[in-house]
Amino acid sequence: MVRKTAAPNSPWSFLAFGVLFGYFLSKSRATDYDTIVDMFRWREFHLYGVIGTAVAVVALGLFIFRKKGLPARSGQPLDLSPIPWDPSRLYGAFLLGVGWALSGTCPGTSLTQLGEGKVVALFTVLGILAGVWAFKKIGPKLPNKEDVC
Amino acid sequence: MNPPAAPFNIVSFLFAQTWSWWAAGIGIGLTALGLAWFTGRKLGVTGGFEDACSLATKDPSFSASPDRWKLWFILGLPLGGLLANLGHWGWTFLYGRLDGLLFGSLILKALWLLAAGFLIGFGARWAGGCPSSNTILGISLGSKMSILATLGFLAAGMIVTNFLFKVF
Repeated sequence: MVRKTAAPNSPWSFLAFGVLFGYFLSKSRATDYDTIVDMFRWREFHLYGVIGTAVAVVALGLFIFRKKGLPARSGQPLDLSPIPWDPSRLYGAFLLGVGWALSGTCPGTSLTQLGEGKVVALFTVLGILAGVWAFKKIGPKLPNKEDVC
Repeated sequence: MNPPAAPFNIVSFLFAQTWSWWAAGIGIGLTALGLAWFTGRKLGVTGGFEDACSLATKDPSFSASPDRWKLWFILGLPLGGLLANLGHWGWTFLYGRLDGLLFGSLILKALWLLAAGFLIGFGARWAGGCPSSNTILGISLGSKMSILATLGFLAAGMIVTNFLFKVF
């Protein structure tokens, strides 16, 4: 299912934002196993500060975008639809949390780790691909409505 | 952490050091905002993995993102990780405290990370988003689902890490 967009975005712009995102994730130490463990064990405030700051910046920006009814710069509509409410998604969130804690990484940081030279991140990336594939195969049998991400 | 006596070095700051929480947080936030502002798209990573599945298997049941933009986006992530560490870059098979936990065995580590990755991928699709889309973007949108999902990530992570590092 491919949704239509109003005007073309250059693939290069998406690549550039991906580079920026990976860059800042790496600078934030979210790609570091020990930092993730210390976040979950409340040993270090650092990543809560990173996430909190990021959320505050995005929330403020999106609030302004919404208030002014701004479209994106190129005239495309701004997609600000929230993920629909469905408490059964909490099962998925728990599984992701377990995986995040075991591997010290989430989907975004696993790929960033590859660029940092952490060879073993390759296994995490392969695992994520397998998990995404498997969810498509058996997901419809689980109590969940639709995928959004 | 920067040693306090060292003079500020812009090259090291940009291409080697890690940053304070607020500086990195502002960077991540502005990236998500910039993506929305320039392209109209919502930050999200796991959809890029689904794009990859869709491209690899040609199976139409995988939902590709419009223009497969998320695949382009996630292809940039390794480049960003490379750039952030260009000043001291090198391959490593090490992985922090996990090495000690798994007796330094590369095979155990590979299997461990494969299994963990599987849970991440499966869970992210089930949850409707990964920490990028649910925590950073979803909470900023004020989405109730994203707040619940984030609490779920954190609760599970706290239980697992405390078990791992207290028991073993």
